[in-house]
Amino acid sequence: MAEHVTCQDVVELATEYLEHTLPADEAALFEQHINFCDGCDWYLDQMRTTVAAVGRIEEEDVPPETREKLLAAFRDWKRA
Amino acid sequence: MIAYKFLRRDGRSLFTGFRWPLPDGAPGAWVEAPVDPCRSGIHACHTSGLPYWIGRSLYEIELDGDIREEPTKLVAPRARLLRPVTAWNDSLRDEYTRMCADRAHEVALDDAPRLEEWDAVVEPSIPEGPALLGFVAARIAEERHGIDGYHDERGRQAAWLVERLGLQDDTAS
Repeated sequence: MAEHVTCQDVVELATEYLEHTLPADEAALFEQHINFCDGCDWYLDQMRTTVAAVGRIEEEDVPPETREKLLAAFRDWKRA
Repeated sequence: MIAYKFLRRDGRSLFTGFRWPLPDGAPGAWVEAPVDPCRSGIHACHTSGLPYWIGRSLYEIELDGDIREEPTKLVAPRARLLRPVTAWNDSLRDEYTRMCADRAHEVALDDAPRLEEWDAVVEPSIPEGPALLGFVAARIAEERHGIDGYHDERGRQAAWLVERLGLQDDTAS
């Protein structure tokens, strides 16, 4: 594995890190990066805040109209 | 085992935000957590790991139990803070930052080819503090000498910290 984690890696690995599914050696490199990179530290804080705020919403809690908008947005994102 | 742990200025852990019982003339209270590296357990480091985990305040910590050794850190099920390393203050943080910046310039520019693009990031990085400057210096060394250069530079930073903080090099034997 690589010896360093980049800012792009942090974005890609943030969910695994927060869910504690990142292997320990990768998590160590992830935390070393967070320790010196304020931008990524803020990003991770935002992720934590978002999870805390909306992490308990169940699928049936989302209004149908909002659900369709989200699905459409993700469909378009995959095509882009 | 005696090791070292960086905390935030207010005594909380860098990553979990756990508020540590701080020493106040006597060691702080024992803290316990099951060992699972980067997920659970008390995380600390040998002197060789200090450059990777630079924080605002530094403590000497006593680790107890079945201690797991990782490349840059130690994870224990039980620990207590023994004393603050008071030499790690704002002035020495600035000095360490400057040392890393000077070293980064030296490695980038003193040999051919001159690594001008790498050198250009050094001074603008200084306001971000010592943890970033340590990484920048080590990355430039890696660009110059490969991954061994990165680790050698980290070792050089650790030796500087050991000397200036008056610590025992706990990885020498």
